This record gives sequence, structure tokens and C-alpha cells, in this order.
Amino acid sequence: MADVDPRWWRFSRDGLEPSHLLETASGVAAGVIVFDEGQQPVACAMLADAGASGTATLEFFSLPDPAAQALARRYAPDLVVAAFDGAPIRRLYVERFSGDPDLLGDLADLFEIEVRYPDFTQIDGHYEDRTIAVLTAERFQEWREGLRR
Amino acid sequence: MITTSRIVFRPVQPDDYLRLYEIESDPSTAMTWRYRGDLPPLQEYEPALWRQTQQIMVVEGRESGTVVGYLQLHDVDLRAGHGWFSLYSGPEHRGSGLVMEGLMAFCEWAFGNWPIRWLYAHSFEHNVHAFESGLRRGEAVRLGVLRERMVVGGALTDVHVIGIEREHWLASPLRRRFNTLRARFT
Repeated sequence: MADVDPRWWRFSRDGLEPSHLLETASGVAAGVIVFDEGQQPVACAMLADAGASGTATLEFFSLPDPAAQALARRYAPDLVVAAFDGAPIRRLYVERFSGDPDLLGDLADLFEIEVRYPDFTQIDGHYEDRTIAVLTAERFQEWREGLRR
Repeated sequence: MITTSRIVFRPVQPDDYLRLYEIESDPSTAMTWRYRGDLPPLQEYEPALWRQTQQIMVVEGRESGTVVGYLQLHDVDLRAGHGWFSLYSGPEHRGSGLVMEGLMAFCEWAFGNWPIRWLYAHSFEHNVHAFESGLRRGEAVRLGVLRERMVVGGALTDVHVIGIEREHWLASPLRRRFNTLRARFT
């Protein structure tokens, strides 16, 4: 059976068992793929768990190489703008492992960690923490207005 | 099964489902994390109850002989070594401590039967007081608070993430006291 990168937790935790995959996919409201200059997909972003409470989770993955990660960082602001503009979101969450590559760039500083699970799971033979960080619509709006000035 | 002076903690039986449904139908528990106000009709309850669930244990009051609440072990991830629990108390038994005694039995049972390092739970702000003594004593830790995460009864509410670590539970004075008292009834 094929494995999914364990850092892609939402999709890797249950492996590729079809019923789990379908259930996971049903929680995804929208998605985009980032292509490189050669039209190869290098990263993808999904808006998951968008619900009546005005919250959603941004899932953002890239291929594990520096060029793909740099492209993901370049497009991160556009993806977050699309998330807030495309859905009535008050609070946008990002979950990540402590050893995940940075895909958000400067935007990462806008997110505030609200939950930390110590030693959540093993990746590559050692335990990593997992965090849930949030970006509020208000804080993001302030950041956008700062860009326009 | 775990028996103390006040409770019997045992696996759920199909005969218990109606009582569990009654507990979850109470308006004050209807907006739980699990169903978020959308409790299914009784005829669809059993599959919904067991969705993503590994085991359900009920807490029976020894004096009354009725199910006063239940605990659910769900979303166990053996690779990561953790699982989640939900705790429900019948409205007339809240504050009695019976279901929280059930939580001690649950920790003993879960950590004794499952190879998990952590048990996690979500708790709405208005329910988190049930965990406060455990948080003060250190058997449980608050892993964080998701601010204004949910809408409950038309108002935004925080969701606390509670964790109970296996090693902390095994070494806790509370566990020793619980097992000392329990030994008198087994």
C-alpha cells in the first residue's frame, strides 16, 4: 500500500483506505494547486472544515524540496486572501508539526498558536509537537490595509 | 468492569442506547462537540454513536442502578499513540461527581488496555469546570484554548483542549487513592 507523507496529517493518518479518504475529502470546501514554470504541480492548498461557526482550516502542503517550498511561500498570501474573500471566515486555522517546513513566509507571524500537543506523533523516528494556530479576519484585514498604505 | 463504592463502570450494552440518547437529548448537552446540535433521530442513533468510536463505557450509579453518564473512546490513532474521549453526564447527576469518578475508571481502563500515550478531550467553556480540579492537581493539562471556536446557543464560545498523559496518570496520587478505594469493592 502506498504511503502518504506523514506531515500531510489530515490525509496520512488513515492511510489511503478509500472510505477514510472519501470522508476526509468531504470535509474540503475548496482547493488550489500551485504549478511551477514547467507546469508541474508543486504545492496544494485546501480549505477544510469550513462551517457555520465561521471557522476553517487551511491545509497547505508542498513537495519536500526547497524550490517547491519557495514557490508555496510566494503564493501563500494569495491563498489566504482567497480563503478570507471566498468564505465567511472569522478565524482561519493552520495546523503544523514542529518540524514542518515554513510554507507561509512572512504570513506565519500573523498566526497565533492556541493549542500545542506535545510529542504528538513520530515523524522520521522522533516525536514532534503539533500546533493549531489561528489568524483572525480582523488581524488579516489590518495586515492587508498595511500593504495598501 | 470497574466497581467503586459509588459506581459501576462497564462496557455499553444495546439496552443502554435509549438512556444514552436521553442523556444526549437534554438541551444542555445537545450542543456537544460531537453532534454540534444536530443529534440524529433515535432510529439513526446507533451508527452515529459508534462513528469513529472504539469503545463506549457507561457509568452506573450503584445506589440508583441507573446509567448516570458515559464515556466514549474515539479516534484512537495507534501509530501516534493517542486517542480522544468524550464524557457525558445525565443532567440530574451533574455535580454529583459520579461521572468524574467514571473518568478515573476510564483512565485506568484506557491506559491499561490501549497502547496510547495521551488521551485528549474538547470541552466547551461552560463545561470545562468539570476538569478544573484535575488541571489543578496535574493529572490533566490544558493544551490550549481555541478562542471563540464554536457558536453555542447563538453565542461564540471557547473550546478548551484537555490532555491526560499516560505517565502522569500512572504516577498520580489520585490514581493510587482511586485504586486503594476500588480494591475494597472487588
